[in-house]
Amino acid sequence: MSVEVRNITKTFGAFTALNNVSLNVESGELIALLGPSGSGKTTLLRIIAGLEFADPGTAQVLFHGEDVTNLPASQRRAGFAFQHYALFRHLTVFENIAFGLRVRPRATRPSEESIRQRVTELLKLIQLDPLANRFPSQLSGGQRQRVALARALAVEPKVLLLDEPFGALDAKVRKQLRRWLRKLHDDIHITSIFVTHDQEEALEVADRVVVMNEGGIVQIGPPHEVYDRPANAFVFNFLGNVNLFQGRMDDGLMKIGDTELHVAENLGTSVSDATVYFRPHDVKVSTEPVGQESIAALIRHINLAGPVVRIDLERADTGSRFEVELNREQWQGIDRRVGDRVFVDLQRVRVFPTDPKAPVEDFSI
Amino acid sequence: MAQRKTSPLPGFRLTLGYTLLYLSLIVLLPLAATFLKTATLTWDQFWTTVTAPRVLASYRLTFGTSLLAAMVNLVFGLLVAWVLVRYNFFGKKIVDALVDLPFALPTAVAGIALTAIYAPNGWLGKPLAALGIKAAFTPLGIFIALTFIGLPFVVRTVQPVLEDLDAEVEEAAASLGATRFQTFRYVIIPMLLPSLLTGFSLSFARALGEYGSVVFIAGNQPMKTEITALLIITKLDQYNYAEATAIAVVMLVFSFVMLLTVNLLQWWGSRFQQPH
Repeated sequence: MSVEVRNITKTFGAFTALNNVSLNVESGELIALLGPSGSGKTTLLRIIAGLEFADPGTAQVLFHGEDVTNLPASQRRAGFAFQHYALFRHLTVFENIAFGLRVRPRATRPSEESIRQRVTELLKLIQLDPLANRFPSQLSGGQRQRVALARALAVEPKVLLLDEPFGALDAKVRKQLRRWLRKLHDDIHITSIFVTHDQEEALEVADRVVVMNEGGIVQIGPPHEVYDRPANAFVFNFLGNVNLFQGRMDDGLMKIGDTELHVAENLGTSVSDATVYFRPHDVKVSTEPVGQESIAALIRHINLAGPVVRIDLERADTGSRFEVELNREQWQGIDRRVGDRVFVDLQRVRVFPTDPKAPVEDFSI
Repeated sequence: MAQRKTSPLPGFRLTLGYTLLYLSLIVLLPLAATFLKTATLTWDQFWTTVTAPRVLASYRLTFGTSLLAAMVNLVFGLLVAWVLVRYNFFGKKIVDALVDLPFALPTAVAGIALTAIYAPNGWLGKPLAALGIKAAFTPLGIFIALTFIGLPFVVRTVQPVLEDLDAEVEEAAASLGATRFQTFRYVIIPMLLPSLLTGFSLSFARALGEYGSVVFIAGNQPMKTEITALLIITKLDQYNYAEATAIAVVMLVFSFVMLLTVNLLQWWGSRFQQPH
């Protein structure tokens, strides 16, 4: 079932949480709302669920074309999973999952037998059937979130909404659970929207990523597209580690320090205050200059732990610092010490006008 | 010798020893004295004393009105706590402070004030009398006094639990299709149950032992409006110490059994909080 929101504005006192947001989610899609805290992503999710209501006006929430803007949460049939699970701690796992079926009006309430059957099915789905009679306090965080998901799925919701579902879990469980969610979605194909501030999670799990900032949608697209072609500096910054060099753009020729870079996509644009963005792994490092565009730099720190080698560099001309990532073989070909000089060629760069609000030279993000 | 278990928290023996000594001196010793004094009676004397019709009537009155008052406090204490936690209104702080007044007021003052108001010529007694209802000097008056002194117990035990209740749990219930009433009945009440029972038992226990606020409004007619505590005082006034303690012992055993029952109920109501 498709979900559409139109012209959603939401203010809390003087603070504008959402500013005229519209979004269309296709039936069966798995969508990530990605953004920093305060970007309005959770508010948008809660408005879709009916737990919050948009400022009156032209705002509309449509479930499969049907207007549900003024329906309360209890009548929307939108399953909701909370960051802190919000399980009923006085009920067993079984009764938690059965809750949504038991509170139905007598006319539509399933028989005790079919409730039992449905709950047992869901317990198998979340692989917790041996723990049916436990109380939530006796479960681990990952198990609790799975129970919360099963509870939401029990009522056969038209759409599944997840608010930072893995935010309270430790890194390893978080990874397992998000793969499990992806697999679950591939099996049952329910339209799902989840909120996260973790770009890795969004890029790994979602069919499409909606990047939000300051109460608005900045970019919508499949993970590889938003990653490879970020719409602006904010998206580039938010989706991964990034290095920044400030300089001047002159008709496709970017001047940074002593080096001039040819940036084909910026031919015809001239900006006096521009910033070059590049990812730490989109570089080539050599011991000798390769061409005109090689940047001389001194090694300041080498971190050999992990699958990639991280090197902190300091540019010879401006003294600004940046970080590069090489795989172990590439590093073997160079093998220099702290203080040695190397040459860096930027493979893929993006140039955006300098954002006066952005911190300068923050390669450490 | 068995291997000594070490606890990460030091001072277990010291604090437990102190606790036991303290409880013995403050609680157990006076109670034991009551039993000892009672033991000076023969079994027949004891039985005649504690089953005299006048005494039996006082048990019925005391336990009946106390139970009723505690139940009323359970309902309206929850209501007061709910309003204080869930809504914001002008003068909320004052209302909040008013709740504690029955705690702080000397019980005799409360008794005199209630009597003055509910007496047949009092502010509330007059209109009630016009309706044919006598409040003061009847069991109804005793019930009113016991409700008054018991109210804070329920409010103050439920209030913090209600404050800590996670709003997300109610939202979860709503998103699962539950109505407001279903959420209240099947989610909020069960979570409050342990604290409601605590408040109930405190209110009930307090009412059982209440003396000061009741004697003024009760009228103290034997067989009708004489509470057990007053009966004990009367015996003491007649230098009949052994009979006074005999009645006290019966009260004690009754109260203890009731509180134990409530405690068991409470344990059952909060079993979801304990790791099994």
